[in-house]
Amino acid sequence: MIENRKLRATVTSYLFLAPFLLVFLLFLAWPVIYSFYLSLHKVCWSTDLYNVFSDMKLVWFQNYKQLFKDSHFWWSLIVTAYYALLTIPATIFLGLMLAILLNNKLPGVSLFRSAYFLPNVLDILVVGIIWTFIYSPHYGILQKIFNLLGIQTFAREGILANPRTALPGIAIAMVLRGAGFGMILFLASIQNIPKSVYEAAEIDGAGPWQKLLYVTIPLVKPIILFLVVMGTIASLNAFTEIYAMTQDGGPFAVHFMGEIQGATKLSGYYLFEKWSQMKYGYAAAISYVLLAITLVISIVNARLLRRKQ
Amino acid sequence: MDVVIFRRKLRNGLIFFALVVGAVFMLFPFLWMLFVSLKKTGHGFLLDFAFAKPFFANFKAVWNNPSFPFSRFFLNSLIVATSGAFLTALFCSMGGYVFAKKDFYLKELVFWMMLATLMVPGMMYMVPQFAIVTKLGWINTYKGMIIPHVANVFGLFLLRQHMETIPNSLLDSAKIDGASEWQIFRTIIVPLSLPVITTVFLLTFLFQWTNFLWQLVVNTPDSAKLTLPVGLALFKGQYSTEWTKLMAASAFSIIPIAVLFIAAQRFFIEGLTAGAVKE
Repeated sequence: MIENRKLRATVTSYLFLAPFLLVFLLFLAWPVIYSFYLSLHKVCWSTDLYNVFSDMKLVWFQNYKQLFKDSHFWWSLIVTAYYALLTIPATIFLGLMLAILLNNKLPGVSLFRSAYFLPNVLDILVVGIIWTFIYSPHYGILQKIFNLLGIQTFAREGILANPRTALPGIAIAMVLRGAGFGMILFLASIQNIPKSVYEAAEIDGAGPWQKLLYVTIPLVKPIILFLVVMGTIASLNAFTEIYAMTQDGGPFAVHFMGEIQGATKLSGYYLFEKWSQMKYGYAAAISYVLLAITLVISIVNARLLRRKQ
Repeated sequence: MDVVIFRRKLRNGLIFFALVVGAVFMLFPFLWMLFVSLKKTGHGFLLDFAFAKPFFANFKAVWNNPSFPFSRFFLNSLIVATSGAFLTALFCSMGGYVFAKKDFYLKELVFWMMLATLMVPGMMYMVPQFAIVTKLGWINTYKGMIIPHVANVFGLFLLRQHMETIPNSLLDSAKIDGASEWQIFRTIIVPLSLPVITTVFLLTFLFQWTNFLWQLVVNTPDSAKLTLPVGLALFKGQYSTEWTKLMAASAFSIIPIAVLFIAAQRFFIEGLTAGAVKE
């Protein structure tokens, strides 16, 4: 009787679940396996270009071997880490500062809250294009402000064509766009801290800085950790801002492993580049290595969280 | 005593000033975009008030541009975002319902599979999804842009979490009254979950509206189904010096989302931060 009822529930459940499950299996579950299959193959001269994905040549682990020796790939990982370093601490710092400022009873606080959060929902491509305009060499608005201050360092090439400043320039745009997200999380968490904790600290003679350092920051630590993980994944996924603000992975920067490397060629962009060159097998191999890196980061994060509890 | 009040006022004044400076910094790019989009052609870089005549000339020129018809891009974006959001909200509600209220075979397995895909970074799906869409012949179609993203695991979990709080007694009494499963879903589950369904709808709309990479990948440059971000990227390639027009084109993508955000802020903020609260 119970068996019968569960069987009937199963039929209804899968009927309800069918549309979701179908799309899920085809576009989210299967690609994880299929991507590995593709990474063992290669588009070669004999491949039928009208039927590429059914006519690739099996090369086993050749793509991975090649990837291991590919200076551009290693460089892309370094630049990705650099980008993470540029964006994550700044986003967290700015978000926390804004949250602390907003945690005061002042007129218009909710208006400021919305204003800071708004850039978060806007199109990264468009934000990137607007910043490209602001950063323009010679005549851009930022250069005009620099002129007033007597700064001519960036006048000739502009910020985005200079290998030293291109990635930091992109990072500034993305930090200003993304800080509002952390702000909302920090604000909710700070408002949950009981007043008595601060009062106790005050009795012990703590000033505003000490209260920040010894009361607020330890209590918002889980959010900091969460933002670090989100930021790392965002860096590994970063593509649109790079595409919008620099061409072909940016101005050439340095010699690394015997080749000239683009200053803003992050892993995500490198993956896209290989895709656009129709090196599908190689691109799939890059995806798999990036997946492995993401998993390691997630596991380390889970450990850290558990240790806290 | 006066000194204390004065110091507090000074402190609040300074904080207020800092907040204004912060808002100017963060919103400046968008205000600048609007300002420049209204200026005369060729005056994009000049710090003057030479506005275009008529006032919205740049917007009109971009909207009706023969080789980059932003009216068409706008329509495409609207179709993709609306139907994507509708299907996602529907499928996630149906799935969320059975995960919240039913006991069925292989439930655990399906659940863990879904959880596992949440760990996979979006970028890694580009190549295999492109391969699948190519094989299905969905390049340059709305289907190709919409369908691969309608199974939103996060949305399903969000809805399941909410639907678990709907009391079983409500469902049982409906069943006794002879309601079918679909009727229960339609008349009890959906109305009682409407705020969360709205959140999922709006977040998906936002995601589809601003999704650049995937729409770039499934469309060839000559596609009739180009959306705003992709159209804008191509437009920039051709008219990279016509900043007044480029900013007007950008405004077409930014303004609808900004308006939507201001109108439905609560849903956006709750939905976007829901992932963090779980931790």
